[in-house]
Amino acid sequence: MRLKMRTMEGLYALLLLLPFLFTLGVFFLYAFLRAFYFSFTDYNLFSSPRWIGLANYLRLFQDPLFLTALKHTLAYSAIVTALQTFFALLLAVALNRPLRGVTFFRTLYYLPSVVSTAAASLLLLWLFQRTGLVNQALSLFLARLPHLGTLLALFLVFQGAQLAWARHRKEAASFWDPASATLSFLGAFLGVYALALLGLVRPLEVRVEIPWLPTRATFLGLPYPLWAIILMNTYTTIPTFMVLFLAGLKGIPRTLYEAAALDGAGPWVTFSRITVPLLRPVLFLVVTMGLIGTLQLFDQVLFVGGSGGAPLESTITLAYYVYGNVFPSGAQPRVGLASAAALVLAGLTLLIVLLQRRFGVSERGWS
Amino acid sequence: MRRFFWLLVALLGLALAQKEVRISGWGGTDVAIVNGLLKEVVQPKLDKEGIRVVYQPIEGDYTQWLFNALSAGTAPDLFYVDIFWSESLFATGRVEPLDAYFSRQEVSEFLPNLIQAFTYKGKLYGIPKDFNTLALQFNTDLFDEAGVPYPNQQDTWETFEAKLRQVQAKLKDVAGLCLVADFARFGAFAFATGWKPFDEKGHTVLDQNFRRAFEWYTGLVQRGAARFAQDLGEGWTGGCFGGEKAATALEGAWIAGFLRDKAPNLRYRTTFLPLDPVTKKRGNFVYTVSWSLNAASKDKQAAVKVLKALTSPEAQQWVLERGLAIPSRRALANNPYFQRPGKEPELNRIVFAGSGAQGGNVYPFKFLGYGGDWMRPINEALQAVITGQKSVDQALKDAQAALDRLTGRR
Repeated sequence: MRLKMRTMEGLYALLLLLPFLFTLGVFFLYAFLRAFYFSFTDYNLFSSPRWIGLANYLRLFQDPLFLTALKHTLAYSAIVTALQTFFALLLAVALNRPLRGVTFFRTLYYLPSVVSTAAASLLLLWLFQRTGLVNQALSLFLARLPHLGTLLALFLVFQGAQLAWARHRKEAASFWDPASATLSFLGAFLGVYALALLGLVRPLEVRVEIPWLPTRATFLGLPYPLWAIILMNTYTTIPTFMVLFLAGLKGIPRTLYEAAALDGAGPWVTFSRITVPLLRPVLFLVVTMGLIGTLQLFDQVLFVGGSGGAPLESTITLAYYVYGNVFPSGAQPRVGLASAAALVLAGLTLLIVLLQRRFGVSERGWS
Repeated sequence: MRRFFWLLVALLGLALAQKEVRISGWGGTDVAIVNGLLKEVVQPKLDKEGIRVVYQPIEGDYTQWLFNALSAGTAPDLFYVDIFWSESLFATGRVEPLDAYFSRQEVSEFLPNLIQAFTYKGKLYGIPKDFNTLALQFNTDLFDEAGVPYPNQQDTWETFEAKLRQVQAKLKDVAGLCLVADFARFGAFAFATGWKPFDEKGHTVLDQNFRRAFEWYTGLVQRGAARFAQDLGEGWTGGCFGGEKAATALEGAWIAGFLRDKAPNLRYRTTFLPLDPVTKKRGNFVYTVSWSLNAASKDKQAAVKVLKALTSPEAQQWVLERGLAIPSRRALANNPYFQRPGKEPELNRIVFAGSGAQGGNVYPFKFLGYGGDWMRPINEALQAVITGQKSVDQALKDAQAALDRLTGRR
């Protein structure tokens, strides 16, 4: 008996898909179903699971730590996705221009994403220590405020004088003329130097000692350590998305820009009417991947909480909450509770991505 | 050909007659120690019995690995159990009680407080492999340079603090001590006041005694005797000490290996922790690790033989002489090793003595199976006060509330 062509094709397809279906079945479907079952039990890895209904879910929403984790995860996800999408697009547009040595800049700006999260977290700890670079830079800035203020004042005086002189000689002059500005700046710099030598301008006694990491202090409702992680993660994820945007930009026909230029469109109009609409499929990809990635923030919390000494309440996210309950330090695993939290996280991720698709950027491109 | 065949059969028979016992512990420096111990002391003993020991060190998170392996039924026959999570593990029933395998006489040869630490609900679940306590290390060069007398075992918190203040004042860029916001260090001072982690109902009460120790400890930074470790870019007092950022450290014998690598020429000495000026007592922790037996082990008799060899006097002497760990046998207290001159034997001697009467109020480093959840409110209170984010009142109130939630005291 000979099989029909179509049946044969189907069988081959199935055969080739089998390894993937197998891993998907074992590591995703089976694991998911087990987690789903465990979330209704008091399983602790050792005693056999006992059905306790919705108790785990109820306990979650009464646990202040879980609610903190939920708040942090949502806020972190929204802020980081917005920041990284915006800056990646900006950077991609800038690097898409026919600049001299653009390949060098593309490589340079891509570098941060090559750094592992562990290494990046170490850098973060180093930058945000009480005696770290951030505080030192702030101290330096504040201590030199008199110098900076004098510099600005002298600059304005010199620039004003040059402008008045030009006007007096009936020459066309602008405040923003680069040549005269350079001259004024040089003059102001020398002036400040001289004043400092004479002891008339002195640095202030300022030492910024903000504990960025071991703290519960908040800014705009979010703890400092979480802000530090936000900055770091935005910085390291921008490059990857920048590459995606660059690829998308390459796909936009040049003729459209040329036509727009002929019609007299400015840069903002070309950007908002041509670049962004044509990038919508990439934008959708970037926003969706950004949301999914940020909702699962875990490793930085581990490092900043561990070596950085940040209190758990200041950095905890849902993914860390799950981990912390499966392997609590020195206590029995709380697998049931962790499974419930993991399912809440999964549901949340699905919901946010669906909402994003419905009301945010969708993958449908310009037609 | 036929001769070859019979040889093969004989070899196979030998292999089958040999019993295999799998053992596991954490990786890192322990790998070299256990391998050396197995090769030189343990395996030669067991060869006669036809037992082969297979050692599998675990790099990475050992606790996670062990809990998973025990749950999945793939755990080795013998494994390390850290006192910190011992009760949570013993409560699962996956660890075999050892009372049937060890005579009263055999058990009594180990330090009683270590045996007590691994006794859970009246049964013995582990034979202590080694242990550690806290001691006070001080950099003699820095104290000499500052012209300040060395800390000694008569020091109280007050006299000790005065010395630290002098060192910090004289040597501007060196802290007296670098302070960590960690109950694993601070707890020793709280115990000195007579405070206990749990009352008879299993509740934690941060009483006046606790508060006295808390105020003294957290105030060290403000009074110019110490600096906060994180501000010096370090996570533990040993790190500050090794980098000569601090003149003293509060660590156990584990600091010796670190200093050997990091600062081999650093001159230091060791003494006991200072006394509480009110009770005239000190406090201390016992950090210890046991060898425990898997309840699902296929050949428990063979495994117990390995366990006995691993904790035998010869094995402990071998470990001790290499300056690797503090052994758990009572008889070793009078070991000539401890009397040798030098910074490391002195450190080991004081750490060994720290678990006994000279240690004062000594508690094992375990918290009724609550583990890190129990320490966290206290650690955060310490941190908040040291970094000036909360008053002592507020920090203790918050910590008490969190502990009440955890232990069910309302």
